[in-house]
Amino acid sequence: MSVRQQAYAALRICYFNGIMPLWRSPLLIGAVFLTPFSFLFFLYVIAPRALFPFGVVGGVLFTALFTGNGMLNDAAYLRLERQLQQVFVASPVRPLAFLIGMALSELAFALPAMVLFLGILLWVHPFSALGLAALVGVVLLTWLMACTLGFFVSTLFQQLREIWPIGTLIFSSLSVLPPVFYPATAIPAPYQWVAFLAPSTFAAQLADRVVGLGGGITTSVPAFNGPLFDLLGLAALTLLLASAATYFSRWRES
Amino acid sequence: MAALEARALTKLYHGRRGTVRALDQVDLDIPKGELFAFLGRNGAGKTTFIKVAATLLLPTSGEVRLFGEDVVAHPEAVRPLIALVPQEGRPFFHMTPREHVYEYLRVRGASAESAGARTSEVITAMGLTPFENEPSYRLSGGVQQRTLVAMILATEAPFLFLDEPTLGMDPFGRRQVWEVIRRAVRKGSTVLLTTHYLDEAEQLAQELAVIDSGKVLYRGAPEALKSTVKREVRLQFSGGFTAKELAEYGQVIQDRNRLVLLTMRSRVRELTDRALERGGEVTVGPVTLEEAFLELVGRGIEEEQ
Ligand SMILES: Nc1ncnc2c1ncn2[C@@H]1O[C@H](COP(=O)(O)OP(=O)(O)OP(=O)(O)O)[C@@H](O)[C@H]1O
Ligand SMILES: [Mg+2]
Repeated sequence: MSVRQQAYAALRICYFNGIMPLWRSPLLIGAVFLTPFSFLFFLYVIAPRALFPFGVVGGVLFTALFTGNGMLNDAAYLRLERQLQQVFVASPVRPLAFLIGMALSELAFALPAMVLFLGILLWVHPFSALGLAALVGVVLLTWLMACTLGFFVSTLFQQLREIWPIGTLIFSSLSVLPPVFYPATAIPAPYQWVAFLAPSTFAAQLADRVVGLGGGITTSVPAFNGPLFDLLGLAALTLLLASAATYFSRWRES
Repeated sequence: MAALEARALTKLYHGRRGTVRALDQVDLDIPKGELFAFLGRNGAGKTTFIKVAATLLLPTSGEVRLFGEDVVAHPEAVRPLIALVPQEGRPFFHMTPREHVYEYLRVRGASAESAGARTSEVITAMGLTPFENEPSYRLSGGVQQRTLVAMILATEAPFLFLDEPTLGMDPFGRRQVWEVIRRAVRKGSTVLLTTHYLDEAEQLAQELAVIDSGKVLYRGAPEALKSTVKREVRLQFSGGFTAKELAEYGQVIQDRNRLVLLTMRSRVRELTDRALERGGEVTVGPVTLEEAFLELVGRGIEEEQ
């Protein structure tokens, strides 16, 4: 199959694996939306109003990050419970096309919630069209990073039940603990750098900066204190995880 | 050139309880355009062989070629030529049988027109028409299995791997699947299928291999395997005799409350008369593949012990 046909295969997988189930059980959208919305509501009630926009950006990124959890579970489900990944491996569809198709399905699930959070953000904190474009870019990078991470981790397991707690563990510690819903400046200065251990910190800081909220980590190394560093960090991590996912994705067990 | 050639194919699984030799130096050729069946007890290595040949699993050593392409070194050259029904696979729960077949064909690169036509054809041939627009979570197990088989057979791929394709199907469903498999072969596909239904192998397969403990015990036509049984007829008794009494007449197989005796034609009259005199029931028939299989594999089990 040509590159065009592979791209078409990915879109087709997104259609029947993502859009079709969503269309048939729209309640799934609510499920994606509920957790980040609860965090946001919590922030709204207890935090100073100035911090609220950070929380809304957090909602967008939380949704993008949790596509990785969906990917982790769906990939494992299709491979272990349904034996359907095998049906796609033993076919002209390239592993990468399957991977992208699956990731696009997760994006389809997350999209309605993301759009809602973006709407709230534009309402409480208006910003430029350029900022919006940049934010969409950050969200897409975050989605890619999360999905490749999710897929990669799913390949390490042979039992569905072992995977259930892993997703919550990984993606909650990526989205709730690090400065995703709150600015990194809220962490005592000497410890702010610790947040860089979480890949999501790069995404969150970058997102806060492109919409004009600021509030990034200040370290003693000036080169680490700007959006360029955040972007490079996020891009490098995404690239690393994407290569790991494609390489280790065990299209063949050994 | 054979469609599939395996040379000294070996697969070891390393587990907590030691190493399992799932495939042990297997040499096997499957000619192009043939319908080939794998028989073997549970755990014999059938699925392992299929997984290796279908680029899903790396072998420990040895070689497999599909249409001349090395499966291990060039999986991307092999994959466009194959399609697979995995053992105990399940369809997507939200999709209908029609959607399964159509979407899978589109993903594999078929045009809308050709996918549409092939979908309708397979849905009809597999008897899926009454269920074609039901999401699969509402379908019974056998119909779900038929959906999966329809999806794979519709591809008309040059090499079809079918791992227990008729599992859980009723006798009508099985026959419909057989017909579609035969048609795929007539259109030029090579088929490798596994089954535990020996009548299915007898009906369908041009050749078969009996696998046991990762080794090929027998390879040839079903008829030839039957003739390896050195008895001419099969008598089945319900009452009338004990296994011990029958033992001197030939080989006895205990089958729940029935006794099966494989013996020579010359003993039939005597045995049936006596069984009827004693108020038992008896049926006389030819030796089936099942007996040949039991004898062949049974010999292996005895040697092990
Ligand atoms: N992933 C695995 N890890 C360890 N051992 C395995 C694995 N898969 C299969 N085996 C072992 O390899 C052997 C062959 O298994 P295989 O699934 O190929 O058998 P089979 O002939 O298909 O049996 P069945 O008729 O039950 O489907 C068995 O002893 C099995 O326990
Ligand atoms: Mg098997």
